[in-house]
Amino acid sequence: MRGLIALLGPTKVLGAHEELLMYEYDGAVDTATPDAVVLPDTTADVASLARFCHEHHVPIVPRGAGTGLSGGAIPVEGGVVVSFARMARILEIDVPNLRAVVQPGLINLHLSTAVAPHGLHFVPDPSSQKACTLGGNVAENSGGPHTLAYGVTTNHVTGIEVVLSDGTVVRLGGKATEDEGYDLVGAFVGSEGTLGLVTEITVKLTPLPEDKRTLMAAFPTMDEASETVSAIIAAGIVPSAIEMMDQLAVQAVEASVHAGYPLDAGGILLLEVDGPHDGLDDVRERIEAICRAHVASEVRVASNALERERLWAGRKGAFAAMGRLSPDYYVQDGVIPRTRLPDILRLVKEAGVRHRLRVANVFHAGDGNLHPLILFDSRLGPDELERAKAAGVEILTACVEAGGSITGEHGVGMEKNCYMPLQFRPSDLAAMRRVKDAFDPDGLMNPGKIFPTPSRCREFAFASTAG
Amino acid sequence: MSTTVTRVIPADATACARILAEATRDRHTVRIVGAGTKSYIGDTAPTDVEVGTSRLGGVIDHEPADLTVTVGAGMRIAEVAQVLERAGQFLPLDPPHADEATIGGVIAANSNGFWRARYGAVRDLLIGTRTALADGTVALAGGRVVKNVAGYDLDKLLVGSFGTLGVIVEATFKVLPVPVASDGLAARFAHSSDAFAAAAAIVRGPSRAEACVVERGEGSAWQLAVEARGSAPTVKRAIEDSRREVAAHHGETRDVADDLGRMRELPARSTDGALVRVALPLAATAAFSETASRLESMATLVADAASGVVRVHVLGDDDAVIRDAEALLLAARVVGGAGRVERRAEHLRSRLSTWAARPSGDFLMRRIKDAFDPAGILEPGRAAFT
Repeated sequence: MRGLIALLGPTKVLGAHEELLMYEYDGAVDTATPDAVVLPDTTADVASLARFCHEHHVPIVPRGAGTGLSGGAIPVEGGVVVSFARMARILEIDVPNLRAVVQPGLINLHLSTAVAPHGLHFVPDPSSQKACTLGGNVAENSGGPHTLAYGVTTNHVTGIEVVLSDGTVVRLGGKATEDEGYDLVGAFVGSEGTLGLVTEITVKLTPLPEDKRTLMAAFPTMDEASETVSAIIAAGIVPSAIEMMDQLAVQAVEASVHAGYPLDAGGILLLEVDGPHDGLDDVRERIEAICRAHVASEVRVASNALERERLWAGRKGAFAAMGRLSPDYYVQDGVIPRTRLPDILRLVKEAGVRHRLRVANVFHAGDGNLHPLILFDSRLGPDELERAKAAGVEILTACVEAGGSITGEHGVGMEKNCYMPLQFRPSDLAAMRRVKDAFDPDGLMNPGKIFPTPSRCREFAFASTAG
Repeated sequence: MSTTVTRVIPADATACARILAEATRDRHTVRIVGAGTKSYIGDTAPTDVEVGTSRLGGVIDHEPADLTVTVGAGMRIAEVAQVLERAGQFLPLDPPHADEATIGGVIAANSNGFWRARYGAVRDLLIGTRTALADGTVALAGGRVVKNVAGYDLDKLLVGSFGTLGVIVEATFKVLPVPVASDGLAARFAHSSDAFAAAAAIVRGPSRAEACVVERGEGSAWQLAVEARGSAPTVKRAIEDSRREVAAHHGETRDVADDLGRMRELPARSTDGALVRVALPLAATAAFSETASRLESMATLVADAASGVVRVHVLGDDDAVIRDAEALLLAARVVGGAGRVERRAEHLRSRLSTWAARPSGDFLMRRIKDAFDPAGILEPGRAAFT
């Protein structure tokens, strides 16, 4: 502590117990207290800190807003948490090149708000976009509802400045669409803070669509909603977003946000198409017809921006709304080929029944990216979380067996690192380990994440289903 | 050093990995060959072993409703297109060497065309790979689902790796429904500034053209080619908007021919002189192209106005070709871009190297290369950082 204060000054270092408590949790369910928290102002601060930690062999854990859903910002092996709250500026809005250069602590929504006057936006729009940071988005390769047509964070980052764990500062990529040599920007995005500390990010800005149509369709059951998704895709329509919610999720949302979703529907879809004004109403009509052919009880089209905002507010506020149903929830993030939706949703339901827990579903149906919210009550004892986790791993196993992934956008973190062998064989993980060792040979960057750790993963002995 | 090359064509991933393990043990250098269309790239020398991918072909999985396809790396991209077309779908990649190029080669060379700004480049469409590594193991990365953040994105490292990390044996891509309508527009401009201003307006406009390319070939005129695909109303709108921008910038529309096909295949035609390929910040494209067009040996220039990728074919006496090629690479760096001499006449190989500078982060690239290929057997001379 004294060494850190001497190095960076007292205003950039937190060490009192009550200060550290603020940094022991994120959006997931695991906690651990850091030894110290550092709030750098500059890349030079970050580099000094890294050199200090390297010299003393102390782990470094980067942190954005702490909205992560896989324990990525939790110092599970102790060490220094680096909060980027004070590196939150937009450094440049470069309209002619359709790029922005930002610091990692910048809040996602603030970027899109700042560039909107130029008719531009930053595409990835995680549901936490009012709080989550660009640095966190880069670490997790975050998605959001509109990634179906426009891609996730990695598709929108062209350059980064990174501080490695030994204090080396390196710039990768830039404003051009690609650089020579290996695509290290591509390797870094989604590395969950395990390869280095990103201190500057160059992102693509995309022209705002000229117009949009947003629809909410209600169905008697989730099966009909799922079949509608497949039918829309089969008709050659790729909407910019297709979101699905089950009845339990709708009840929670309506109790908190009042988005106007029908409470009696078994499942609802929220659909958006965008692009040039011409032809949008044709597409909307075709989608409406497909919904009705799949016995939708109601199809509602937002007739203005306010109604659109209201429909989206329900979806974006869904996780927060779970508090209306249960004091705690554990959210999974498995992905499946979208044709398998009906089977897997049944399996999700059965897993909940088996573990005597309610499960609400709010997810990106177009991508096949599930978000089962397993509701539990930690006040009833530690067994509740254990049962929630047991249900979670059953769901992830089913996702992998269906040809999918254990995580679509929340990351592996410390929450699912023990489950990596479900999806990857030892030789696959060994290849990833080579990349880790190239960037961080001493293993100081965010240890205990992504890769299975012998101490914590002993109880998980999965036979790999990866072929 | 032996002058005879051992040619092997493994039947599957395991056999391919075994060949690489043996080569590592024996310190035999290895070249990986799909259709061989891009063998001109890099500062290569003959290798001891040539691994062909022609038996690693075929569609492995295609569930149309999932909008994904998994294919063997040796499959030609044109064959993949045929299979997908039967299901009303397409893989939105339009790389050069369209008839012959294989999937593995397109990934390894990061070979893109003019659709990249609209649909994404290889890195954006590739969602999973299976790769034979130098130690004899086979590594799976990504998966078969469109969204997946489990572990590191090794797929990204393979795109543009030119086989220096392993042999890609299988790949999964996102695909899309074939648009129902398409149309094109061609125009001619007297000044590059007008051509690029029109192109920039089209690219930034709301109507989402699929390709927007500026060419300067024989004669002094600058040609613009625009392609739009989508629903009938969106295509009509895109062409109307483009026509308006052409007129506003003193251009003259003309009949559409297979302009984009010709422009895309510039690398295939550039057997003489040198072909420089650069990726620039978008707004630098116009000035770079104008400067390039004034070079003594400039023969053809093709600028993708939507992505900032510019190719310049320089022709003439050797000294002028070398001087101009090097000047173009320098000019690209000055404006924040990067590039390479993508192709040059055989006799120029010793005088004109592929890269003028090492990319930033080269020390990390070298560490990654050493970790995957400690004996340094894979594709010597193909990496930008050595």
